[in-house]
Amino acid sequence: MCGIAALFAYRDDAPPLDGGELAAITERMRPRGPDGGGTWLSDDHRAGLGARRLAIIDLSAEGGQPMSDAAGELRIVFNGEIYNHAELRARLQRFGVRFRSTSDTEVLMELYRHDGERMIELLRGMFAFVIWDARARRMFVGRDPYGIKPLYVADDGATFRAASTVKALLAGGRVSRRIDPAGAAGFFLTGSVPEPFTIFESVKPVEPGSSFFVDGRGPSPPRRFYSVAATFARGFDQETIADLVVPKALLRELVVESLQYHLVSDVPVGAFLSAGIDSTTLVALAREAKRASPRCVTLQFDVRRGTADDEAPLAERFARDIGAPHATRLVTRDEVMADLPRFFDAMDQPTIDGTNTWFVSKAAAEAGLKVAISGVGGDELFGSYPSFRDVPRMVRANKVPLLGAVAAHLMRNPKAKHFALGRTWAGAYFLKRGLFMPDDLPSLLGLDVAHEGLSRLDLLRRIDSALIPDPRTAFGRVAALEAAMYMRNQLLRDTDWASMAHSLEVRTPLVDAALTRQLAPLLLAKGADCKRYFAESPRPPLPAWLRTRPKTGFGVPLAQWMELEPDGTSTRMRSWAKVVWERYA
Amino acid sequence: MKILILCTDAYGGHGGIALYTRDLIEALAAHPAVERVVAIPRIIRGALEPIPPNVTFVASAARNMAAYLRAVARVAREPWDLVVCAHVNLLPVARMLRRKTALWIYGIEAWKPTRRGRALVGGVDAVVSISEVTRERFLNWSGYAGRSFLVPNAIHLERYGMRPRSAALSARWSLKGKRVLLTLGRIVAAERYKGFDEVVEILPSLPEDIVYLAAGSGSDLPRLTKKARALGAADRIVFTGHIDEREKIDVYNLADVYVMPSRGEGFGFVFLEALACGVPVIGSRHDGGREALRDGELGLLVDPSNPAEIRTAILDVLAAARREIPPALAHFAFPNFQSRVHSVLDELLP
Repeated sequence: MCGIAALFAYRDDAPPLDGGELAAITERMRPRGPDGGGTWLSDDHRAGLGARRLAIIDLSAEGGQPMSDAAGELRIVFNGEIYNHAELRARLQRFGVRFRSTSDTEVLMELYRHDGERMIELLRGMFAFVIWDARARRMFVGRDPYGIKPLYVADDGATFRAASTVKALLAGGRVSRRIDPAGAAGFFLTGSVPEPFTIFESVKPVEPGSSFFVDGRGPSPPRRFYSVAATFARGFDQETIADLVVPKALLRELVVESLQYHLVSDVPVGAFLSAGIDSTTLVALAREAKRASPRCVTLQFDVRRGTADDEAPLAERFARDIGAPHATRLVTRDEVMADLPRFFDAMDQPTIDGTNTWFVSKAAAEAGLKVAISGVGGDELFGSYPSFRDVPRMVRANKVPLLGAVAAHLMRNPKAKHFALGRTWAGAYFLKRGLFMPDDLPSLLGLDVAHEGLSRLDLLRRIDSALIPDPRTAFGRVAALEAAMYMRNQLLRDTDWASMAHSLEVRTPLVDAALTRQLAPLLLAKGADCKRYFAESPRPPLPAWLRTRPKTGFGVPLAQWMELEPDGTSTRMRSWAKVVWERYA
Repeated sequence: MKILILCTDAYGGHGGIALYTRDLIEALAAHPAVERVVAIPRIIRGALEPIPPNVTFVASAARNMAAYLRAVARVAREPWDLVVCAHVNLLPVARMLRRKTALWIYGIEAWKPTRRGRALVGGVDAVVSISEVTRERFLNWSGYAGRSFLVPNAIHLERYGMRPRSAALSARWSLKGKRVLLTLGRIVAAERYKGFDEVVEILPSLPEDIVYLAAGSGSDLPRLTKKARALGAADRIVFTGHIDEREKIDVYNLADVYVMPSRGEGFGFVFLEALACGVPVIGSRHDGGREALRDGELGLLVDPSNPAEIRTAILDVLAAARREIPPALAHFAFPNFQSRVHSVLDELLP
């Protein structure tokens, strides 16, 4: 887990790289990697790499970055974890590769040497990396399937720059700070800046599940190696597989396998614990797998103390029952107010989320943890979000003539008049998940910016592209939409910056490309209730008082603390978005 | 000691369970304390293999269900020390005898609830599984909480061996100058879990001198053929049709890699056969193949849902181009199987 940076003056007439820029970019990511760091600049000042390191696997200096092979032919910076690194290492050793460290970083480098660009298809984990191949004078850049780990690039046509955060790229001083109207519009429409945009015009994200080279001609078009849509399209063909085994047993096997991979670490792995099914089940399964409970942390908010929304007593009871070391961390309004400047400084791009991860990561770091597993992604994996029910319903309802108009009249929701958007999957998803509507934007951004932003953003077409190839089932479609939009742009991105700000690595056993691929036939099987199977998978199963309690919000009571009030057409979240927009800059 | 075995098929039977049951009967009969073994089969398809002297194989029971029940009724009053129920479907019959019962389980037949399964399993004295994965999946639905044992398949190493490629077979399937991937099994819709599809899907991404020998017959052939054609791999795949038992060892010896990225194998006896012919194997991490390959010691394990892993494993094995009968295969040699069976017997009948 780290912050990484890479520079490549690829065109002959590009000015030589400035070591100061590389140092500044790398330094901006210090909280991401407090355990060490370094930069490397090629003798001819055409290529450079930088890294800040949070040591999790191979804590020795041999695991340090930027890492080079003995001959100096390959150099790598890598942010993330390769959970199957031991298997990959064993395979390479069969081919005679000799390793100098036990780190997964070196495995990546040697795997690239052995398998070239297809190496990326063999990785199980969360990752973003850049490999400098001095022999071919090119960089190889890759990012994990879901985009758990961030990587941003800026290419001015002569020099290529990459870093783990948008703000780090800007800190080098050579990348324009001009706001991208498409990014700004995207933020207000969805609550976060949707890829392939960032909030800055010159900065672009590396597409999750893709890799590319940068050589003397600049970056090549990305090669995609994973797609959630394709995974569900394929899973549809394999439905018979789900008939072989009791679904509950199959789900347990696959989830436990994923979890075991996610527990690979040279430092203790803790866990975020709420009173929800996802985190409690993971903690119970981790206890089984490791024969010891992970250290758990739970947040408690002062304004919710003693109310039905307070999850802390339930989490405490659960932890006590299974014998897990546990700490409840009280968060007060004063602390929130005091943290806000640091919170906004760490916020890499504007987003309406991230507060919960901020505080629970802070609590975990205070408890001495460097790594914590989190249940994020469980709702997306098992289809337990309302969107899995409502989006298909909206698409169906729009097939009935005039229903949209009637509904618009009857519903008092500010989105109601846009009901007809729900004709398409992308439109229905936007209606379900969207924050502001396009006609709100001129008042927020000004007419020109709103207009330019909306036209470049072309949001519905972007959302629609998540459905290529067609996942063929309603479940698959919503799953692909959630993965490409909410999960990628908000949930995972915010989890990353808000945890890394506290030098904490968050691992997500339920956001795992291999797990999705393996589970897809079962998730699509008729009558399968995967969330229930999941809750019943620990031995003994979760107690009934946990399994059957209604789902509560996971959110931080920001609205109460900040006295955000709905103002006519605006919800509390919309008010918070306006605060974020003002404070982000 | 007297043992009654209720089985679906054994001598004169085809397939994995018949073979396992024959080995089981032989192993039980060889236990020094066992005086008599009576085995009652439901099905006989072909000529009977040699039967050990202290074994009575009630062939007449295989005519129909009525004959089977009559055969069981005839021996019901004898003082059996143990009833071996060699298939979960025969549990209702076994339970009627009200003797100490050991249930043997193998694969998909025990992965999902059977009719009255939960109620019947409750009274069983021991469950013997050929693999951990089958045991786990069985325990998950059955609620069984009693004693359980693992007795994986046996391989009679002396019946196999490395041989030069058969010129006749090579000519029959035009394999000259080709590197051969092999999967052996029935190609039917109900057994789509074998992994034929997964191999066909990656064929176009493999070097052109690699062909896929899909060895088996079945009703799913037209679909698989169509799929291969759609992928432009029709000329890279050979469907052999039914493989005669007598040709089997020669067929294995045609292969450079035995690959079966399956999801439904209780154990994967074919892996042992391929290894016993010196053919390197690729199996699945997500079914019994993992145990047949001893967690990777005997062959490469892949995630059947990941085409890249399957492809890489195939290329890795081909690159190594090494054929040998791995010494570690002896773990599954018949004498070891027999001592595992005897240990179970000694524990159940001290």
